[in-house]
Parts: sequence; structure tokens; C-alpha cells
Amino acid sequence: MDITSGNNIETAPKKKKKHKVKPMKLSYENIWQHRAQYFMLLPCIIFFIIFSYLPMAGMVLAFKEFRFDTGLFGGAWVGFQYFERFFNDPQSWTFIKNTLIISSMKLILALPFPIILALMFNEIKNNKIRSFFQSITYLPHFLSWVVVVGILQSILAPNTGLLNQVISFFGGDGSTFFLMEEESFHSIMFWSYVWKDIGWNSIIYFAAIMGISPSLYEAAAIDGANRWRQIWHITLTGIRPTILILFILSLGNILSAGFDQIYLLKTPGNAEVSEIIDTYVIRTGLQSGQFGYATAVGMMQGIVGLILVLVVNRFSSKKFNTSLW
Amino acid sequence: MFNEHDKTWRFFKTFNIVIVALLCLSIILPFLNILALSLNEGTDAQRGGIYFFPREFSFGNYIEVFQQSSILNALGISLFRTVVGTIISVFLTAMAAYALKTKTLPGRKVITFFIFFTMLFSGGIVPYYLVLTELHLTNTIWVYIIPSLYSVWNILIMKTFFQAIPDSIEEAARIDGCSEFQIFLKIILPMSKPVIATIGLFNAVAHWNDWFSGSFYVRNPELKPLATLLQEMLTRQQAMADALLRNSGAYAALEKITVTGDSLKMATIILVVAPIIMIYPFIQKHFVKGVNIGSVKE
Repeated sequence: MDITSGNNIETAPKKKKKHKVKPMKLSYENIWQHRAQYFMLLPCIIFFIIFSYLPMAGMVLAFKEFRFDTGLFGGAWVGFQYFERFFNDPQSWTFIKNTLIISSMKLILALPFPIILALMFNEIKNNKIRSFFQSITYLPHFLSWVVVVGILQSILAPNTGLLNQVISFFGGDGSTFFLMEEESFHSIMFWSYVWKDIGWNSIIYFAAIMGISPSLYEAAAIDGANRWRQIWHITLTGIRPTILILFILSLGNILSAGFDQIYLLKTPGNAEVSEIIDTYVIRTGLQSGQFGYATAVGMMQGIVGLILVLVVNRFSSKKFNTSLW
Repeated sequence: MFNEHDKTWRFFKTFNIVIVALLCLSIILPFLNILALSLNEGTDAQRGGIYFFPREFSFGNYIEVFQQSSILNALGISLFRTVVGTIISVFLTAMAAYALKTKTLPGRKVITFFIFFTMLFSGGIVPYYLVLTELHLTNTIWVYIIPSLYSVWNILIMKTFFQAIPDSIEEAARIDGCSEFQIFLKIILPMSKPVIATIGLFNAVAHWNDWFSGSFYVRNPELKPLATLLQEMLTRQQAMADALLRNSGAYAALEKITVTGDSLKMATIILVVAPIIMIYPFIQKHFVKGVNIGSVKE
């Protein structure tokens, strides 16, 4: 996976700049004048060509038979054979279903949590206490999923785990192996996801709330709006563009339900609900070497994500005047 | 002005603090539990009943961890990639961001979109892996460093920060005869310490935490970083941890076997988490700043 950090992205609706300096025309003199800048950009452009655009071109593999001797762009054309194979395999529909269930839980069910947390932070008026709480809630974001799953394995272990100890303390059966249970998978996945990023995701909403002009609240108070109505009409309306932008961007991931977490939480016991497209691509591609087939599956995933982002961005741009670019 | 004395409101405020405090406890307590388990004799821990304090206190697990050559080696790999990877990456990112901030640069928009687009769409993991293979990066230590030199998000954050530096400062330097590189090295970089700290920390944490490349792009066990080692411990669970123990000389030297696969796992978790938690109080404000810089649109 790539090493980009953070969720984040540009919020705030478009603002017009007062003094707009336009880029110069593409002429020899102008380019020569900026040779230092181009030189500084060169490694960056080469990097993205090699590590982003070359793999994009490598998607032709989805229509080819991969051979190690001819490499990425050799091999014979096989047409849509891999796609047919994927859609004819009844298992594939299970993976698609699992992916959609997991990703919509993350995109939609989990969405309100950081917003609510940001609203709650906003009501703690003592700055010291608030930033103390805030820094604790950001912490899990900086931990690898490996660590979080390691902690989960320990806490949810049968008999000796913290949770089972508590259950047997209250007279229950303390031997459930939660990570092996199909029924527990979705709640473990969902709550660990919310737990890990609730604080971090609240930062951006909290900053947006801070940016709302206090005079709006004063005006509303004079008009007789109580605190609840102020939260509803001013705070939530004020951060709507932020919510929308983050939501649009996250839609690109609808077919990728978060590889790290799911791969690490997957056990023989819950594989029926935890095998998703991402883990399937890794399993067929990197682990059993069916490169062409796995490329085809990954490509469908990428294209659906891109289309969704573009469509929703257009809709949001027209309807709410909020857009990614 | 606000009806602060409203009873339901006051009840809500208390309730609010309690909920937030409970959330914080849910973050702290699991760590205390892992810490207690890692400081407890492994065989004793198997009886269960350890919450937030060790029952049979022992440093045995940690002594064992630091006697495992594979763990020490992995620690070295992790440190190397974190330090070297972060330094190179921050420098290159700053250079690219500085060039992209120049408003007069011909083709600036096209280049920015060229970079931004990679955030929306990618060729997928398999072609990416094959590119790494053809470059002969797989199974070398450089597979940790080179493919993660740039991230779109970090370039955008730096660019936004640089744009806030008044152009007049650069103009003055240019009139004094400074070259673009001198301006970048001697004026822009020293003025940008906060954003360099932020991006450097993002980078360092990502390097330290990355287990994926170690698992899938590297086969040589001597090149695996700590996070990958922990991941292998988790997936292979008991078998792997026990094998680790059996291979170590220290195991035989212990008169009474107190370390188990599980307790070793706990100590390794703490080893992975400790550096982050120890520096966290000093750095967390930088992270927050980074997110907030990034959220301001150009």
C-alpha cells in the first residue's frame, strides 16, 4: 500500500483570489527562465510516471497472458477471458457483497461518529481539558493496524482475554473465540475502525467548526434559537462542505474496504464474511501468481471508484456548490 | 445570552465530558492491559485474570525479545528505513512543492493535475508489484524507501505552506543575486521548520508502521522490518512464536520456562508502540497543524 498519511483533503468552497498571477505561456524563454523549478520537479515527475502511471499502463495485463520472460507489456492477448472468469465464479459475488457491506458500514455508518465527537469537543469550553482529551483520541491513528489487531487478539482471546474474563465474571460463558466467529466479525471490524480514527477524523471537522463566525451564533441567540437549534442550523450547516468533500473522496474507496485491517482480522473462522476484493486480489495475484486475472479484478475496482468520485463530485458541485477542484 | 442555566443543557454538558472521558479510557486501558501482560511471566499469564497490573512481575519477555537476533535485526531495518527514508523523502517533497508553488511556472496546472490524479486512480497492486519486480526493487531494502519517496498529500500540504510565504522575500533574494536553489536552501527551508516537522513525522510514522511491503515485496527474512515481524507473529500465531523461542539459545538457558509465544507477542507490541507513544506528547500538535494546513484550499 502506499505511504500517504491522513484522510484529509481540501475543504472550503472555492474562493476567488484578489491578485491572480497567471502562469506564463509555454515559450522557450519562459521555460528556460524556470529551469531551476523544472529541475526540482524532475525527480517527482519521474517518480509518478514510474510508480503511478506505469502501473496504470500495466493494466493491459488484464487482457493478456502474463509471462515472466516478456514482462509487463509482453504476452498474448486473451480478450475478456479474465473478466468472464470472475463474473462466472459464484464466489466472486460473495466477495463483492462482503466488500460492499464492509465499505458501506465504514463510509456511511461510521461517518457521524467523528462529526459528533467534534461537536462534543466544541462544547468543552476549558481549552486545557479539551486538548488533553483530543490528543488522547488522536493516538490510535498513529498505530499500525498490526498493533491494533495484536491488541484485539489479546483482548478478545478465549478464556484469558479481557472481554471473556469480564463475561465470565458476570456469570457468562467465557470461552468464545470472537475472532473466529463469523457473527462477531462485523462488529469487531466496525468498532475497531471507529475507535482507531474517530479522533483523527474529528480534527478536520473541529477546525471547520472553529472557522464558523461567532456572530452567527449571537444572531441566532437573539432570534431565540436555543443551543440545540444553533448546533443544528449553524454548526452543522457550517461544516456541510467539509462533510461533503470528505464523503466524496471516501467514495473512491467503496470497492476497497481497507486492506490492512481486513487482511489482519481475517481468520479461517470468519473467511465467509471477511474475504473482500482487496484480499482476493492479493491472494490470487501476489500470493498465487495469477497476475493477469488479479489485474483484471483490481482494474474493475479502480474504475468503479473513479467513476463514483467523478459522478458524485459533479452532483455535489451542482447541488451544493462544493467540489474537489 | 446563551441560556447557560438551562437545566437540560447543564446535564448535557456533564454527560458530554463523561462520554469523551470514556472514549479516552477505551484508548488507554487496552494499552495498560498489554503492558501488564508483557511485564508478567508468560506461563502465569496463561491462567488469565491479568487486567491492568502484572501479577508475577518479570522482565523475562523483554530480555527474551532483545535476545532474539531476528527481532533485533528487524528493529535495525525499521530504524534504517525510518531515518533514511524520511530524510530523503522530506527533502525531495519540499523541492517539488517549492517548484509547484511558483505561480508563473508554465504548465503548473497540468503538472499539479498530473500528480493529483494519482490520488483518484491507480493501476492496482498487481501491475505495481510487477513494476517493482522489473526495477529489481523487490527483495532489497530500497523497496521500503524509493516507492514511498513522494506522496501527493504531503506535496500538497507543503505547497500550501510555501504559498503563505510572501513572494517579496524571494524577490529580494533574487535581486541580491541568489539562485533558485540558494533561495530554496537558505531562505525557504529555514522558514518552513513547522511544515518540515509535520511532513517528516507523517513520513516517519508511516515508515515505522508499514508492514505491507515487508510482507509482500520482500522474501529475505533478514530484510523484514519490525512491523512485518509482528504481523507474521499475529498471523502465524502460536506456531511461529514458539519456533522463534525454540531457536534461541536463551530459551535453553532459562531454568524455568516462563516466556510463551503470547507473552513474547505482547512485548513485541510494546516495542513497536513505545517509540510512537514516547515521542507522541511532543509531536502531536505538529500533526494537527499538518491536517489543518492541508484543509485550506489554495
